[in-house]
Amino acid sequence: MLRISLPAETLWTLWGLPISNALLTTWIVMAVLIVCSIVATRKLSMKPGTFQTLAEIVVGGLYDFFGSISGSFIGQFFPLVGSLFLYILLANWIGLLPGVGTVGFWHGEEFIPLFRGAMSDLNTTIALAVVSVLAMQYYGFKNLGHHYAKRYINFKDPILFSVGILEIISDLSKIISFAFRLFGNIFAGEVLLAVMAFLMPFIVPLPFLFMELFVGLIQALVFSMLSAAFFTIAVAHEE
Amino acid sequence: MEQLGIEPKLLIAQLVNFAIIVFVLQKLLYKPILDMINKRKKEIAEGVSLTEKMRVEEEKFKEKQEKAMAKAREDAMGIIEEAKKQAKEVEKELVADAHTQAAAIITRAKEEAAEVHKTAQAALRKEAVELATMMARRLLTSIMSAKEQHAYIAKRVKDLESWANRV
Repeated sequence: MLRISLPAETLWTLWGLPISNALLTTWIVMAVLIVCSIVATRKLSMKPGTFQTLAEIVVGGLYDFFGSISGSFIGQFFPLVGSLFLYILLANWIGLLPGVGTVGFWHGEEFIPLFRGAMSDLNTTIALAVVSVLAMQYYGFKNLGHHYAKRYINFKDPILFSVGILEIISDLSKIISFAFRLFGNIFAGEVLLAVMAFLMPFIVPLPFLFMELFVGLIQALVFSMLSAAFFTIAVAHEE
Repeated sequence: MEQLGIEPKLLIAQLVNFAIIVFVLQKLLYKPILDMINKRKKEIAEGVSLTEKMRVEEEKFKEKQEKAMAKAREDAMGIIEEAKKQAKEVEKELVADAHTQAAAIITRAKEEAAEVHKTAQAALRKEAVELATMMARRLLTSIMSAKEQHAYIAKRVKDLESWANRV
């Protein structure tokens, strides 16, 4: 029978840390990214090989793309927004591979999948959202100094004070919106694919699989673009 | 929280994971690749600027070349004009020389002709006198005495002399 679990399943515990199947997939994503980076930059030359060309297209393209949002601040933001994009994209696409959610073991009556899409675990998406919002504050203070604090705490007049309170609420709500948007889309996609595969295992899930590939890309783009936009707004903030 | 699967330890683990991936990607991927792209861009920009510089220099060189060609053409035309002028002068000199030589030849030829004419005249006169003398002698011997012969001959000689002077 089809079983859908909202939280990621814990596989085992290591030194008190519960190792979930989503965390395991995250490590695979990390390993893939690190190996690809090493392969792409192993023999850098002015006449690039296949991997270097691919890496230059991806990194250069992302740099220019986020540069069109962040302007001159792209140098500061790129490591974070570029990583957000690549990490989320790869995690989403790896979550669609055969075996993810289907290969696992039985624990009594319960089937525990060994792998689960990293972004279909709220811990991952909340962690990324927290990073994004904290980075926004970091860039704001780094570029504007103590003036950035006036965005939240301003005693000049009651209206600005109220706006500051709203800004605090808005920034805190960004964590929730970031995390749940990404989690909701990816989790919903996985559920949809699981239901389709359960109802009609052949051919029928294919269009949904392609749609999920697209959703994975769009969600990675939305998360990283919004982060870049928020960072840019934070550094351009003036009272 | 538990129903949503939010576990603080896992959340921190994911934060650490992402921090590691940002650090590693920055060191292993972004920095080397962006440095390489910038290096290539710089080289391309240098190449373009060098090409532009070379193009400007080529234009300058072409301009110089054209100027030099124009000057050379002008000089050549001057030389040709000068040569033509000199050729005309030489031609004039040659024609004048030829005229002078021709005049001298004609003069000499006239002088020679006059000389020949004079010589021929003298020879003719001499021959005519001898012939007349001979004829007269034969005639007079048959019809006149010695005295009459002398008188007649003398008269004829005089006539001949006056005739020869007229020719």
